[in-house]
Amino acid sequence: MELFKPGKVYDFMGARKFWITLSLTLTFASVILLFWPGPNYGTDFRGGTEIEVAFKRKIDSGEVRHAVIASGQFSEPDVVEVQDPDPAHHSRFLIRVQEISTVDETTKAAIKKALCLGVEETNTPECPVNAHATEVKFSAGGDKLAVRYDLEPDLARIKEQVLGVPNVKLRATAGANPQIVNPRDHRVEVQLQSKGDQLMDVLRAELGPDTVPDSALRVEWVGPRAGKQLRDSARNSVAIAIIFIMLYLAFRFDLRFAPGVVVACLHDALVVLGAFVIFRKEVTLSTIAAVLTLVGYSMNDTVVVYDRIRENLGKHRGKAFGEIINLSVSETLSRTILTSGATMLSVLAFFIWGTGVIKDFAFAMVVGIVAGTYSSIYVAAPLTEWIDHRMSNSGKGGGTAAMKKRLRTARA
Amino acid sequence: MSSHSRKSLLLAVACAIGAYLFFHVDNFWGMVLMGLLVVWALVTALPMMDAAWRMKVGFVATVFFGILIALWPTFEGLSHGRIRCPQYVKDRITFGIVKGLDLQGGLRLVYTVEVEEAIRDKRDRFADQMRQDLAVAYGIHSGEGLLKRDELAKLDEKVHIYEPESAVLRIKFKDPADTKYVDDRFIKKYSAELAQMKGEPGEVVFKIRADVETQIRDKAVAQAKDTVNRRVDELGLREASVTTRDEDIIVEVPGQDERTFNDIKEIIRRTARLEFKMVDDETDFFGKIPDSEVPANEGIQIWSENAPAGPGKTVKSSYARITKRENESMNDALERFKKWTSTLQVPDDHVIGFEKVEDYDEESSKFIEKGWRTFYLFSRAEVTGEYITDAQRAVNTQSGMPEIYVGITFSPTGADRFEEVTGANIQRRFAIILDDVVNSAPVIKSKIGGGRASITMGAGDPDTQLKNAEKLEMVLRSGALPAPITPSNESLIGPTLGEDSIKKGGIGAAAGMALVLLFMSFYYRKSGVVADIAVLFNLLIQLGILAAFSGTLTLPGIAGLALTVGMAVDANVLINERIREELRAGRSPRAAVDAGYDKAFSAIIDGHVTIFISGLILMQYGTGPVKGFAVTLVIGIIASLFTGVFCTRLVFDWWVRGAKVKRLSVGAEF
Repeated sequence: MELFKPGKVYDFMGARKFWITLSLTLTFASVILLFWPGPNYGTDFRGGTEIEVAFKRKIDSGEVRHAVIASGQFSEPDVVEVQDPDPAHHSRFLIRVQEISTVDETTKAAIKKALCLGVEETNTPECPVNAHATEVKFSAGGDKLAVRYDLEPDLARIKEQVLGVPNVKLRATAGANPQIVNPRDHRVEVQLQSKGDQLMDVLRAELGPDTVPDSALRVEWVGPRAGKQLRDSARNSVAIAIIFIMLYLAFRFDLRFAPGVVVACLHDALVVLGAFVIFRKEVTLSTIAAVLTLVGYSMNDTVVVYDRIRENLGKHRGKAFGEIINLSVSETLSRTILTSGATMLSVLAFFIWGTGVIKDFAFAMVVGIVAGTYSSIYVAAPLTEWIDHRMSNSGKGGGTAAMKKRLRTARA
Repeated sequence: MSSHSRKSLLLAVACAIGAYLFFHVDNFWGMVLMGLLVVWALVTALPMMDAAWRMKVGFVATVFFGILIALWPTFEGLSHGRIRCPQYVKDRITFGIVKGLDLQGGLRLVYTVEVEEAIRDKRDRFADQMRQDLAVAYGIHSGEGLLKRDELAKLDEKVHIYEPESAVLRIKFKDPADTKYVDDRFIKKYSAELAQMKGEPGEVVFKIRADVETQIRDKAVAQAKDTVNRRVDELGLREASVTTRDEDIIVEVPGQDERTFNDIKEIIRRTARLEFKMVDDETDFFGKIPDSEVPANEGIQIWSENAPAGPGKTVKSSYARITKRENESMNDALERFKKWTSTLQVPDDHVIGFEKVEDYDEESSKFIEKGWRTFYLFSRAEVTGEYITDAQRAVNTQSGMPEIYVGITFSPTGADRFEEVTGANIQRRFAIILDDVVNSAPVIKSKIGGGRASITMGAGDPDTQLKNAEKLEMVLRSGALPAPITPSNESLIGPTLGEDSIKKGGIGAAAGMALVLLFMSFYYRKSGVVADIAVLFNLLIQLGILAAFSGTLTLPGIAGLALTVGMAVDANVLINERIREELRAGRSPRAAVDAGYDKAFSAIIDGHVTIFISGLILMQYGTGPVKGFAVTLVIGIIASLFTGVFCTRLVFDWWVRGAKVKRLSVGAEF
């Protein structure tokens, strides 16, 4: 069985203007999308809301998960069962969602004003000395206020002050709210209603009040797993890797070949990230792994085409660079289709049947394989031709000829 | 039987005897190695093909069986006991693939960062700075370099800085008129971070500003998280998750192995606070304690020793010593000791340090832990662990008995400081304190430049010493925690993914691989089957190496493995396409195989090297999951070169040279 008739040369470069324009458009669109609206970072990067609930009856994690998804108000949650040594709590779960509460700037300003922050007069009826905040801090999760006072504060008064602000509600907690968390520096914590409470409401509506307790054991904002450090290290190491790969290719092939591989890789990575933004997929640590895998795939694919171009440059001395590309791409076409097909097959099942993170991983791979295969033909090869052309115009004699000469000397 | 077969069989017998000997001395890996060599020798004895081919096939067989053995315990775990692994093997293969948090769950540890400690640290640094400034104002100090100890003593006669609360600094002047030294310039210098408060007459009080305090808190938590992350990384647990929640750090570790959990807990908890403090031998603090206040019934006694006190001077210095009771642990003895020392009136610029007392036992020629002794130290840390850039364990064999130590290297700033401090304190004792315990207190013989110091591992058998050195090296290199952390909660957690998602993921992986394998065998026929076997072998190698690193398998990891299967066929596609081209050009099967492999190799090697380079660099500079990914990538690339090119070539060679086929089965007729 053969996919393509051997010996047939397809005119790939004939339509290159169209494809290059398409590539440029896609790349620029992706860059713009990355800034606006920007990727949808998942809990791995952004943190999220975590609640811990002890359900009143035995329940399994699937049921909880379905309840959260069924409401349509939250992203796909992580539901983790916690083994509790206390047998009275038989179904303790941690539920993490991506959504976090945000307090908008006007509300923040209103709360600060209500708490008398920055008010000069220290003893007015609205701002008595013992309810005159010296610092107000909003937690990253938007559900807590840390307020500091110089003197022992009047909690009832503070509660009144906060509730006076429109759209602000206090969370019903088991302990006092607001409460003093640190008597030494008179630090008071005020808990506001947040996504965590909304999540509890959703659970109660879906599972019924017989299952879901009145309040969660904890409602908390959790920080990201992968912070700036990871993002920076990923970016820096990729940049260093690119330099070394260019050096290697310049050594193995020719200086003109090196930028093509790198540009093709960047093109693929950007297109995948762009697709993530368009389809509002969650960017997680797995996405990073997927993009890195794709970069490897794309490099390999480009190098195979380059290898043929190098071989054909030596074989067909009279041909123009464009023809050589056509010939080389045509000769390697069946291998390109077979390999990308096989790779595609291996992730296709995940894409069709997978859920959550895995589906997104497979999505990245499917987009990336198409881009990686395409970019070898329409990004890397034309770029090499263009560089060759530029060099031949600036130098003496034909560029292709110059390259062939170098190849000949390299071989000798 | 030919002579080469006889030789090979002899070798096999010799290796079998070797294996038995290793078994006898319970050297498991020696036995396995010998056993594998038996396999190799037996394969080379086969009456087939030429010697080089047999050697290669033998090597492949050896790798195959070696990996199967290494994966044996893992297979039992992954197949839920359907594949049985004897206890004998399980006891000896301590590594294996661990299922990730998403598939199996693990241990969730919550630590609270004691941020107060970080605030106190910052406050102490302000106090030091202020002492320096005041010393300059009084004309005691030139302003260059650190305050010398006599200058400090002089300053203390005029002004005393003390820190009663964690964020407050009180400067008390002997002469109230001296408050003029705290002038506008002085206040302005600190005004960004410190707020001035009301104080008694002759006293100036500063408090760390609320927003600065918040910053210190946030920074301490962020740094602690980074440090814990690095430590978890160094342990090779790349799929553990570390997050923060207010002032808490949450670590989730995959797996179910109690022993691993204990190791992790120990390493995460280690503050790894390294401090260098001067010993105050001249005061003779313990010598002034009346005998009536020393509880002899607790096993506490006052001893004395001769200590150097500056060039050419020696003083008698006393110290307290506690003898450990029989069956009492060293920690309990220390607790008892501390209970007593806390009743002593120690001035706030001094602290008491504790060091283990060990005696050399002639009979067993071992060191035995006897108890603890004190050192009377200046509370100011002259140099701290934050200046450490590297730590490396090493063995000192010069002093007869091999002694294991950890050599540390300071940053340029730290090295300068270290040199300055040692230069100013020649012929005095210098205590190296690790996590509040004095490690050693050597006498400074001369100025120490170059920024190197070492921490000895003390007594104990070499194995324990080495283990301790390893742990210390790891924690020092990952950096000290900015503040101690205390465990506040610990629980076992279930998988983050639901059972249905895991099942679907498994089916997805199996289906994806099966599709690729079917596709290959359909398209290339027998050559495709060869490629399929190579790909499966590749998968096995990757799993084996993952197990050797005690790696974690997560669902995305499984998807990644399925993907490698897809990508690993690339080498075989390239080769098979080339062979087809050569056959089309009318070459004989044998020539086509030779030419096909030769020509395809240049593309394969370039592709592999490119990916290999990026993998190496990601491994070097990446952190956490990125590093984990890179390790898998590099392993996969090497394995793919081995299975896709080396192993398949053996089969093709056998076809065209051994079986001498007239037609190669590559899915197309020529």
